[in-house]
Amino acid sequence: MSNHVIEESNSSATKELEQKQEKEKEEEEDEDDELRKLLLPDVCNLPSVPPSAVESNFAIYFALDFMKPGHDQYVYRHANGLCVIGLAPSHVSFKDEGGITAIDFNVGKSDRSGVKVTGKRKKNAQHFESNTALCKVSTKNDSYIVRCCVKGSLLEVNQQLIKQPELLNASADREGYIAIIMPKPADWLKIKASLVSVEEYKKLREVS
Amino acid sequence: MEQEEEKVSNAFIPSSLSSFDLEQVLHALPSNALNHLFSLGVCVRCVLRLFGIKGPICASVDNGSENPLDSTTSNEAKLCNICLGILQFRFYDDREKRVLQKDTAYDVALLIADMVKQERYQFDTFSLEVSIPPLILQNETCLKYGSEPWFQEKLHTGCISIKDALKFSLINPLENLLGCKSSLCPFRIRLTYTHTKALEGVAKCSENDGSESDLIGQRPLSSTVEIESFDSSKLFLKSASEPCHFSYNCSRTPFYFGGRYLKYSRNVSQTRWIIDDERMGEASVEEIIGTKVLQACRGDNYKFHAAGREDIDVVRMLGPGRPFILEVQNTRLVPTEQCANNIEKMINEVENKLVRVKNLKLVGSDGWNLMREGEAEKQKQYAALVWTSRPLKDEDFQQVSSLKDLKVVQRTPIRVLHRRSPLEREKIIHWMKIETVAGSSQYFLLHLCTQAGTYIKEFVHGDLGRTHPSIGSILGCRAEILQLDVTDIKMECFLT
Repeated sequence: MSNHVIEESNSSATKELEQKQEKEKEEEEDEDDELRKLLLPDVCNLPSVPPSAVESNFAIYFALDFMKPGHDQYVYRHANGLCVIGLAPSHVSFKDEGGITAIDFNVGKSDRSGVKVTGKRKKNAQHFESNTALCKVSTKNDSYIVRCCVKGSLLEVNQQLIKQPELLNASADREGYIAIIMPKPADWLKIKASLVSVEEYKKLREVS
Repeated sequence: MEQEEEKVSNAFIPSSLSSFDLEQVLHALPSNALNHLFSLGVCVRCVLRLFGIKGPICASVDNGSENPLDSTTSNEAKLCNICLGILQFRFYDDREKRVLQKDTAYDVALLIADMVKQERYQFDTFSLEVSIPPLILQNETCLKYGSEPWFQEKLHTGCISIKDALKFSLINPLENLLGCKSSLCPFRIRLTYTHTKALEGVAKCSENDGSESDLIGQRPLSSTVEIESFDSSKLFLKSASEPCHFSYNCSRTPFYFGGRYLKYSRNVSQTRWIIDDERMGEASVEEIIGTKVLQACRGDNYKFHAAGREDIDVVRMLGPGRPFILEVQNTRLVPTEQCANNIEKMINEVENKLVRVKNLKLVGSDGWNLMREGEAEKQKQYAALVWTSRPLKDEDFQQVSSLKDLKVVQRTPIRVLHRRSPLEREKIIHWMKIETVAGSSQYFLLHLCTQAGTYIKEFVHGDLGRTHPSIGSILGCRAEILQLDVTDIKMECFLT
């Protein structure tokens, strides 16, 4: 008789526990639903055109008339010190009819596209001066030398350009970047003085 | 002579001994041995232990009259040349910053017990550990290779080491003062004797020794010590000039708390992140959890280990959370499950809800399995707020949803390229689903489930083409990511 009673009270105790657990689960799910709503933003707070990944993550500089008139290049510097080098929209090569048709990394003493940089310490990276040639871009009738602009170790060149040089015409500022260089902090400070900011660039080149 | 030696060296000496009995014990030892040892400047307790005599007899030695056989007893007994004062209870106390002379082992135990009580350690047993300078072991080795053969024999059969002798004399008083038994356990009381200054004279154990000064304190004795031409009078330090430095402290093996965390803020990094003396972000998950745990257990410091990480601007608000283990060192309290529950409550009830902890509990070695679980979760789920340079249409939504187990090749993102190897990593995007945002045709929520280790931001904006394909390349336009959340929830509704 007493066993039966105990069994009953046990089962009601477990029922209580189950109910409690279910309630907790429901509460959690409600909370999740509320949080999920937080994921969805309020559209009126969003800008119609947000800053690009480059604008958000890099400081943008320009080297104007680097070594030669019209040879304008950009330098995107990341907070971690790495610099992305490429052709500024006002680069003289874009003025040629048909734009850029080919690119050659085999300049100077080595083929820049051939070097394999490995490891965290960036072994085998070549150390270049700011005026060292990176590559040569060719248009229908002319060719132009693109230089490092920043003294440092060459980590990589954009291999995609070899197969798709038209990237330089379509998006020189993004997929058409030319190389990534890692300067020492002291070398960066030296070169930074000769670079101009985005605002200055717009003024000097009368770009909007 | 031999009979008497045997009688004495293995005897258990009852506690009712008086100092008269000490004289008796000493007289029972071979007198030439005793004289020899005393002439070398060895203290009475060392003599007793070298002959394997232990027990309360040692306690009854009065430090005032070190050498009962010496007719010229001085009040200031000379420092023992073997134990350098350790068994004479004379030392330079690191806490009081001066030389102390204690009369009995009990007095030394009192110093130690006071320290333990001051720190308010919680314990129900303790383990006593002693560390002595290597120089003392060298001295003893020299002695062991001494001249008299009967001497050598005695030393090999019964002699008690300095560490053991010290422990024997301290254990009982400590047990009484601390109110518990000693045993092998994680709570340790450490006694450290060091000898920093050079001693007068030089210990020579071999005629062909190198430069004298090398032996002072530092160089360990080579095992191939020459034994033949020993003259034990040359064996010793002329005299030990200063007692050892004595420092004592407690320590406990670390405790481990395991659990999962959620992160609600886009300005909180996972671990403390400081560049040029400036903190990045307003707080870190590690500090939020670690400081509370440290406070609650009264520990010295903590180490935070998590199964994976997310960027400072990525929140993790949904789901079970990311597993972590917090190691706490040298806790004064012994944490319990209740303690863990309280800590969890404290962290979660903080006003500015930055971080939330779930399932905090004490873990043993099984805790590390929990972490493997987190890393083994091969698939991660995210919700990204994406902007495209052109409005999207239904075909775009369908195209994205139709991609299953999409292979993506990611070159090391530029933002981590400074500290990671330049590699190409192939990752899989298991599925994607676009959720529209009311009022906009160019903003939408991209839900995706990816292989662990995929860089989501780079998959959205393409990282200057170094991640291919990317959302932009798939949709044929420019795409930017504004916000990323780890969702980690069962999204069956999005699988079809």
